[in-house]
Order: sequence, then C-alpha cells, then structure tokens
Amino acid sequence: MIPQDQEERRLLIAEYVLGLHRGERAVEIERWLAEDEDAGRLARHWREHWLGAADLLPARRPPARLWRRVARETGLSRPWWHAGWASVSVWRTVSAALLVAVVLLLGPLRQPAPIYTVVLQAPGESARPGWRVTVSDGGDLRLTPLVEGQYAADRSVQFWTLENEAPGPRSLGLVEPGRSLVIPASQVGSVESGQLFELTLEPQGGSPKDRPTGPVLFIGRAVEI
Amino acid sequence: MDDDQQRQQEQGDALMLACAGGDGAAFQRLYSIEAPRMLALARRFTGESAAAEDAVQDTFVQVWRNAHRFRRERGSARAWLYSLLRYRLINQQRRGRPADHQALPGDDWPDPGLSPEQCSLEADRDRRLRDCLQGLRGDRRRPILMAFYHGFTYEQIAESLAVPLGTIKSRVRSGLKGLQECLRL
Repeated sequence: MIPQDQEERRLLIAEYVLGLHRGERAVEIERWLAEDEDAGRLARHWREHWLGAADLLPARRPPARLWRRVARETGLSRPWWHAGWASVSVWRTVSAALLVAVVLLLGPLRQPAPIYTVVLQAPGESARPGWRVTVSDGGDLRLTPLVEGQYAADRSVQFWTLENEAPGPRSLGLVEPGRSLVIPASQVGSVESGQLFELTLEPQGGSPKDRPTGPVLFIGRAVEI
Repeated sequence: MDDDQQRQQEQGDALMLACAGGDGAAFQRLYSIEAPRMLALARRFTGESAAAEDAVQDTFVQVWRNAHRFRRERGSARAWLYSLLRYRLINQQRRGRPADHQALPGDDWPDPGLSPEQCSLEADRDRRLRDCLQGLRGDRRRPILMAFYHGFTYEQIAESLAVPLGTIKSRVRSGLKGLQECLRL
C-alpha cells in the first residue's frame, strides 16, 4: 500500500530507487511511479543522482569477447551471407558487386564507417526522431528518413547546416520527404561535433534567400561516434 | 551539471536515439563509452566476472531491442542504462547468493567531512552526490552504499553488519532523508 503521508512517499521512492524493495512490493511501487507524475519525476531525479555513485567506481576494461557476445545477440555481427545465403537475390547482388569491383579495379568493397551521427527531431518533441544523418569518414553524408512526411505541393523541404563559428546556415539542397539522400563530401564540407543540421519548409524550389525563410521541421546536432 | 556532464549526457541521448533508428555504429559507440563503468558496477554487485559480463550483455541486448522506447523527457539515456542494469542485477541476485562483502567507495571517507584532496576533481553532479554522502554519518552512509553497490536488501545489510533490522531501516531512512535534503529533491 502506498502511504498517504508525503514524507513517507518520498522516502519510499528513495528506497525503491536504491533497490530496497523487491517482489510484489516493488511491482506495486513501479505501478504507482508510472501513474503518479510527481512520484515518477522524483524517482528519475534520484536515478540521475545515483549515476554519480556509479561513476565513483574505477572503470573495468571489458574483455573483447563481451562485445562479440552483444553483437552476436543483437545480430550486428551477423555475416552478410548468414541472412540468406541461399536466396537468389543475395547471389544476384553478390554477382553484381563482384562485377562492379572488377570494373572499378580494386574499388572499395565496404562503405566507410560513419564518424558523425545526427538525429533530427521536430522542435519541442525531443523523443521523436524524424531523420537520421550519418557522415562517413570519407565525408559523404547520408540523410535517412525515420518518419513519413507529407507537405503541400507548393512547398519544398530544404536541408541546411550551420557550421560552428559560421556566420549563417548553408543550404545542402532540397530533400524529398520519406526518401534517403546521399550528399558527397565535396558538397558537405567539413563536419564537426556539435554542428547544427536542420530541415525547413520553404517555398517550392527552395528558399528565395541564402538562409531559411520557413519553419524548422527537424533539427539536431552532430555527435562523434 | 557542468559542461562535460552536459556533453556526456547529450552524447548518450543522441546515441540512444540513433540506436532507436537502427544505427549499429551508434550502439557500438554507446557500448564503448558505458560498458567499462557498467561492468565495474556489475562486478561489484555480483562479486564475480562471468555473472557481471552476463548482466552487462543482457542489458545492452535489451537496450538495442528497446531503444525505441527511450524517452528523453523521462530521464537521460545513461540513467536508463544503469536502471536497466541494476534491475537485471537485482533480479539475478534474487535467484542466487548475495555477493560477498567487499570494500565500498566511501569506506575511506572521513565521518563526516570532506578533505581537499577528495573533492578536487569530480565533476559537479558527482561531487554533489559525494558531498552529500560525505555529510552523512558513517553508520547511515554505509548501509546506503551497500544497497547501491551490492544490491543488498534491508535484511542482508542487517545480517552483514550484525545490526538489528529495525536499527538498519531507521539508519537508512534517516540517511536517505539527509541525502534528499542535501540534494534538494
């Protein structure tokens, strides 16, 4: 039973976050925290503070096998032939790739790993990613939609970046809602941690000025990965 | 929260959101940043390496599968990660033997008080919690830290310290009340 007394309630939350309640009692408290906004907020504050206690411990270098186990369990280490080695489409793709490799003479077989990522979110809706940006170590930028988007026919969605210390945003071109886009390194320019990227809604064909004129649809900052 | 913590938190949140979008590189980066400290906590909890690795592995697998459920307005990605880990460790412990008694961070702190050497380098949030913990009497602080680092229940703490259960409950609650006031929660 959840106490009525405010002081007791607050102590109960502190005890729960510390892990002092188990079994049915813990389930009862969890349910209460999910339903009571103030109680849930206090529990979150406690959890944020206890991070400080975890950080007091000296870090332990994980053995390499631990990541391999995680990657295997999540499917991230699955070799490319594992998903469907017998399928016609895979073999067709493999053949095409080999052909391209031969034609290009030692062209790169793997895409370079991304070194920056940006999650573009609608302003004020921090938990709803709309697009993802990845920048490879070669500097190419890939913009990938995470949501469907529909806008009036007389409008265009334009992609911008604001470099650190730069005087104003720079257009990276128009974007078709719901479709991926790759922008070559030469057009992207240098990318730094914290660099701002955004999508704005502009008149058809793009902003008439050298800066955004319409509302921001999605925005985010580059994070080094 | 100082600038480093702010950046660390934003980085964790951004990586978690990228994981929600299926970004494996972001997931690996999140692992490389957080796994060392999580493994340290798990090792402290379980008292042995294999069980600690199992817990960290399960936590990251759970994170990858449930990253779409992460909501930044409900707390930071780091807090979510450590909550999942502690939840996993506590459940694991219920099925097994409690960890043996080990030294805790704070065992060598003065009672109460803060020496200049001990408060020099920690960042804001860490220092704030540490200051508040150090402000507690040792007999309040120690059972609280045993609950956090070892996942001990009231009964296990009482048994481990050979102190009556009622006394331990009263000390922990008094300590938590002190922390609550100090942290202005």
